[in-house]
Order: sequence, then C-alpha cells, then structure tokens
Amino acid sequence: MSSIAITGSGIICAIGNDKKQVHDSLLTGKTGVGELRYLPSRHKELPVGEVKMTDAELKKALGISPTEVYSRTAMLGAYALRQTIADAGLTSEALKGKRVTLISGTTVGGTEKSEQYSCGNNTKAIDHLTTINSQIPISDCQLSTISTACSSALNAIILGTRMLLMDETDIVLAGGTEALSVFHLNGFNSLMILDHQVCRPFDATRQGLNLGEGAAYLVLERTNEARLRKANIEAYISGWGNRCDAFHQTATSENGEGAFLAMTDAMKMANLNPEEIDYINAHGTGTPDNDKAESTALHRVFADALPPVSSTKSLTGHTTSASGSIETVICLIAMHNRFIPGNYGWKNKSPECITPSAFIPDTDLHHVICNSFGFGGNDSSLIISDRETHINSNVNYQVSTVNCAEATVSQEDELKALREYMSPMESRRMCQLMKASFLTSMRALEIAGINKPDAIIIATEHGMFENGKKISGTLNEQGEEGISPTLFMQSTHNTLAGALAIHLGCHGYNITYSQGKESFWWAIQDAQRLIREGKAENVLVGLHDEMPIYSKSVIVKKV
Amino acid sequence: MDELILELKEEIIRVLNLEDITPEDIDSTAPLFGAGGLGLDSIDALELIVLLEKRYGIRLASAAEGKTIFTSVENIAKYVSENRKR
Repeated sequence: MSSIAITGSGIICAIGNDKKQVHDSLLTGKTGVGELRYLPSRHKELPVGEVKMTDAELKKALGISPTEVYSRTAMLGAYALRQTIADAGLTSEALKGKRVTLISGTTVGGTEKSEQYSCGNNTKAIDHLTTINSQIPISDCQLSTISTACSSALNAIILGTRMLLMDETDIVLAGGTEALSVFHLNGFNSLMILDHQVCRPFDATRQGLNLGEGAAYLVLERTNEARLRKANIEAYISGWGNRCDAFHQTATSENGEGAFLAMTDAMKMANLNPEEIDYINAHGTGTPDNDKAESTALHRVFADALPPVSSTKSLTGHTTSASGSIETVICLIAMHNRFIPGNYGWKNKSPECITPSAFIPDTDLHHVICNSFGFGGNDSSLIISDRETHINSNVNYQVSTVNCAEATVSQEDELKALREYMSPMESRRMCQLMKASFLTSMRALEIAGINKPDAIIIATEHGMFENGKKISGTLNEQGEEGISPTLFMQSTHNTLAGALAIHLGCHGYNITYSQGKESFWWAIQDAQRLIREGKAENVLVGLHDEMPIYSKSVIVKKV
Repeated sequence: MDELILELKEEIIRVLNLEDITPEDIDSTAPLFGAGGLGLDSIDALELIVLLEKRYGIRLASAAEGKTIFTSVENIAKYVSENRKR
C-alpha cells in the first residue's frame, strides 16, 4: 500500500496565465474562447481558446532571445512548468540526490513552427521537451513523451503515479502542453465537429467543440518522502483508469464502454463508492457524440448517485493533449477553494445527456474524478482526493516476463500478405505504416497463440509522418481547404494503437510513447510494469516508423 | 445524368480507395452505407463531403446533411446536378 501526493502545480490556458487568474475566471465564468487573434488562420468563423500572450511575450517572460526559434507548444509548457517547480519548492537543493522524471503529453509538438517554415508536419513530439526541461534546476532528468491525442496529459500523470508506486523514480513532473496549429484547426474542421459559437457541452443545441491551447503540470511524490522534505501537499492521487473504447478512430461508442471502464477502474483502485465522489470534471467537449457517450457511461457508473458533473471547456476551449492536466489543476483549484466549476453555456436539457452542474460555492470536495478521452478511443480517468488515500496497486515484483513472439516487416512488398488477415475493403483507409503495424501484430499474436491481447503499447519516433506531410502539403497548396478527414484522423501518434484495439476488440490499457529512439524502451518497460501490476497477462508491444518502413511487434508475457 | 453517375462512381472509388471495385460493381440505386450495399461508414461520408466541395463547389453545413444525400449514387448525382457551382 502506498500513497502519492501532489506537491505542486502550474497552469496556463485561455482563462489565465497562472492558478490565481484561472481561479478568478472559474468564479466569474468569463470565457477565454473568442475570435482567433494569434494563429495565422483564415478560419475567423471558428472561435478558439487562445492563451492571451503572443510568442514574443512568452519569449520575454521565459528569458528567451527574440531571434531564437521555439515552438509555442514548448514555450507554453516551459511557462507552466516554471510555475509548477516554484509552487513545489523544487530548488536544486531539494532535488539533490533525487531521481527526477519529466513526463509530458503532446500531439501537436512543433507542428506550428513547421507550418511557419513550410517544411511539413514535424511529428517528432519529443522536440518540445528540450525546451521545457531547461526549467528544471538539475541536469540529469529522465524524460518521456506520451502521445495519446486528447488524453495525453492525463496519461502522463498516470504513468508518473505508477512509476512512483514502483519506486522507479523519486520526483515526477507530469502533465502536457499543446498550442493551436493551423494543422489541427483545419483537421478538426474537416471532421465537422467544430462549433461556430462558443461550445455548449451537454446542451441539446451543442454543435461541436472549440479548440483551445495551454499547458499544465503537477509535481508528484511518494507521500512519506514529500512529508520528509516538508512539502506542501495539495492533494493525493487515489486511482486511475486507462482503457480503450475500441470502437472508432474518432467517434465514441453508443454505450461509452471505454469511459465506463476507465471510471470503474479508477474507483475500484481508490476503494470508493459512487456516493463518495463529490464532483466530476467531464471530458465534455461539446460534440454530439462525446457528450452523449460520456453521459451514458456516467449513468452506467453512477446510476442514481450521480454527483455534480461539469465541463469547463466552454471557458478554456478543448486544449486537446493538455486537457487532462489543465483540468486536473482546475479540480485542484476547485477543491482548495471549495466550489464546483459551472458548466457555462448550458441552457437546454438534452434527452441523451446528463444535466450538468451550474457553479456551486461553499462546498467540500473530498474526492474528484477528472475524465480525459482521446482519438483512437484512448479513455482515461483520474481520481484526486483531499485526504491521504492508499492506492490498491497490487504490485508483485516477483513476476517475471518474457518476449514470447516477434514479427518484423521492413519491405513494402511484404505488405501484400495483409490480405491473409483482412479484406481490401477493411484495409481501404490504411497507409503503408498502418498496414505494416497490422501485419506484424497479427503475426506476433498468431505465433503466441493469442486472439486478443490484454493491452496494447506502441512506440513510434515520428508517428504518422507521411499522413502529416500530405495534410501539410494540402494546406500549403490549397490554402486551408480540402483536408482529407481520413488523413487527419490518422495523423495522431496513437493512430496505430487505437486502430489495432478496434480491430482486435481490445478494451484494455492502451498507450503510445514517442520519446525518440527511447520510445521502444519505454514501451517494453511499461508492458512489464503492467504485468507486475496484475493488469495484464500479455501485452502487444509494437515499434512502428516510416522513412523507410520499419515495423516490429512483440508479445510480452507473464511467465 | 448517366455521365455524372459514372463520374461520381469513379470519384468515389478513387477517393475512398476501393480496391477491387469497378464502376460496374456499384448499383446506382443501391444504398452506399450499411449492410446490403457498398458498406461505407461515417468516415467515408466525411470524405464524400470533401469531394462535393472540391469537385463541385458544394459546401454542406453538417455531417447530418450528408446522410440525407449520400443514400445512393443516383441521389448524389441528382443533388450535384441541382446544386453544383462548378
């Protein structure tokens, strides 16, 4: 039994550049969503939640020379992390002799800089970490990047928690960062899920989401060690769930299976009943699909004991990969200041949705759930508590694992063999990398004699590079028009993990690492961790990259 | 109209990357989505919306609007001939 404390936090988003400003906006309900000012896009009809600072102002605040090139994603991350480190009192003295790990979630990475220089989509998600890392007052910090689309930041917090529980590190800085880009604004637009007004989560008239941007990080430590260094404990992490909806690349299943399983796992781990949850910060994007499915999942988990639920995305916009940590910090602010954030913009009861909560002052929040769902059906839930809780982690260090099957593909002509496993109709939307990842996965599973793995963990250095490049090409040639929705939904790093889960019907743990050459190491480590936690008996692990194609799948199995 | 129907079939095959399918294989009056027809899905519908915009200058307001138009190739042809800007 172990306990994990949150000892620092920092945030920047459309409704404030620090916790104090965000707190004030949450009280007044003043939205940060409006006409775009900073992003060089012609889509003025699409409201967005921009951080109210130019790149030049961010550089000045961070002490970066105006001539140096930094992506907005990296600068937002560095800005939030600097606050987080100060908040936690992490001086070089406090960090002496400690193992420190920075885990950051992003999908956009440096895309917006690549747009400026017209050099295609920069899908190397890790690039943002070099800038952010410079804020940490030690030189040898372990780094990891998670890219599970809109649930990236929440999955970063979950990974940090697990690494602390298994004594793999001492201090974790975890969260995520994402800047708006012409790339994903046009991409979401091609999916026809952007509202032309300020979004209205759970409302009968909801038309879609508004994109936002920002960053937020937490400092996590084992509670006993946090007390030893007399850290100010802001809250505790009590439980988590990471599941896959395994239904559709961008849409959500009718019964909200992934969300249901993620919340159920988190509550089981925290030993909490529905009546004990005081507030849920919903994913609540404002799209017809998400809000309906999340409502169904909430009804399934809570039945008659549904606590107040609200989405804060009509204030912040949907900050995509950063939303999990931004909304966790919003939960912390609400907990400390004893209020429930309102679901602003909601007016009309939707027959298919829960009735969200208005702003409620003077209320104690002991246990709070934060939901974060992403493309590929990457659904995660986190529970934070105002009192020390012990996580049911059931780790068994005696368990050993073995890589029991392996398959690789590195030649394009080998991909024809995919026909043995699926019809051309089924594979009609697949790019070569996706075909390769499917072929090696099916072969490895076949060798291991497994139909459906318990979990899927994917490593990729460049992600869906070719698809990203095609989209950037269209944007440059046709001036923000005619983006292929298929290409866009297959441009996130977690595309392969999500698509494999759908094909295999795997609702288990699902994650994607994009930490350069170390990605595969992180993936294998995580598979072993998962098996020792008793959350899986076997895990499908893959390393998939393009230019040239290289795809390797292995099955990691409990011995 | 027959010319437009053939053109649409060719475009659908190209845009949706329907390997092994020729225009002759597509029944102009058969449903495109779900069982009993081509078996297309909601992602294909989004691609068809982009096709209408790019090729014929027709901009649909929502995915739901697409559903009422993309019932069969014949129906799409009818809609295109009445609404095309180019």
